[in-house]
Amino acid sequence: MNALAAHYAYWVTIGLMVAGLVILITRGNLLKKLIGLAVLQTSVYLLYIVPGKLVGGTAPIVAAGFTTYSNPLPHVLILTAIVVGVATLALGLAIVVRIREAYGSIEEEEILARDGAEE
Amino acid sequence: MKNDLVLRVVAKILLPFMLMFALYVQFHGDFGPGGGFQAGVIAAAAFVFYIIVYGLSAGRRLAPDRVVEAMLAAGVLLYAGIGLAGIALGGNFLDYFVLGADPVAGQLRGIFWVEAGVGITVASVMLKLFTMFSARARGDGQ
Repeated sequence: MNALAAHYAYWVTIGLMVAGLVILITRGNLLKKLIGLAVLQTSVYLLYIVPGKLVGGTAPIVAAGFTTYSNPLPHVLILTAIVVGVATLALGLAIVVRIREAYGSIEEEEILARDGAEE
Repeated sequence: MKNDLVLRVVAKILLPFMLMFALYVQFHGDFGPGGGFQAGVIAAAAFVFYIIVYGLSAGRRLAPDRVVEAMLAAGVLLYAGIGLAGIALGGNFLDYFVLGADPVAGQLRGIFWVEAGVGITVASVMLKLFTMFSARARGDGQ
């Protein structure tokens, strides 16, 4: 039980990952799907950053009086992942805007129904 | 939200502090957590906040499209220019050590201008993304 409580950050990560995936799969609204994707991405950021943090560790800059440093490598990797996340979100939003202009709806079922009617 | 007096006043009071915080994060990147990416996003958030409260046309007067587009390219050019300055002074591409009188001063100067370039580009890209989306919504009649 103690081990489970001590690693609560991992449980938050797992919760966010599952929540994002559920939103991504079950919601028909394309905007809500993108929100689910963003939540899922956030959980991946946590998955990388949490193991790099040491209790009592500081930023990895050499200074007198500090001997414990957190690992900076996950932060650098995740900085890139955040930039990629913003880019994919902007691309997804652009596609949703275009779909809204073409179909007049962002609900997946209505879009699929219109596609089926035209064939 | 143009007619909401509370929002308009609060936005005017908050904006300088948001920009000041962006600058703090930008320049604190030398000594601790911070840097161009974060500072750029915070600065862009201040402008996005202004546009949400005062409307897109007011935001475009504050930060004209041409200026934002010029900054978008200027940041990348500044970053690349620092890299080329390293070559011109006899080092490798993005070699900070040759930029100052001694390696430590060179490192400080190099990272300062590289982060400035990153900050300028990130701020203008975020602002450009937001204004492009909101201009699109207006064209749609919403």
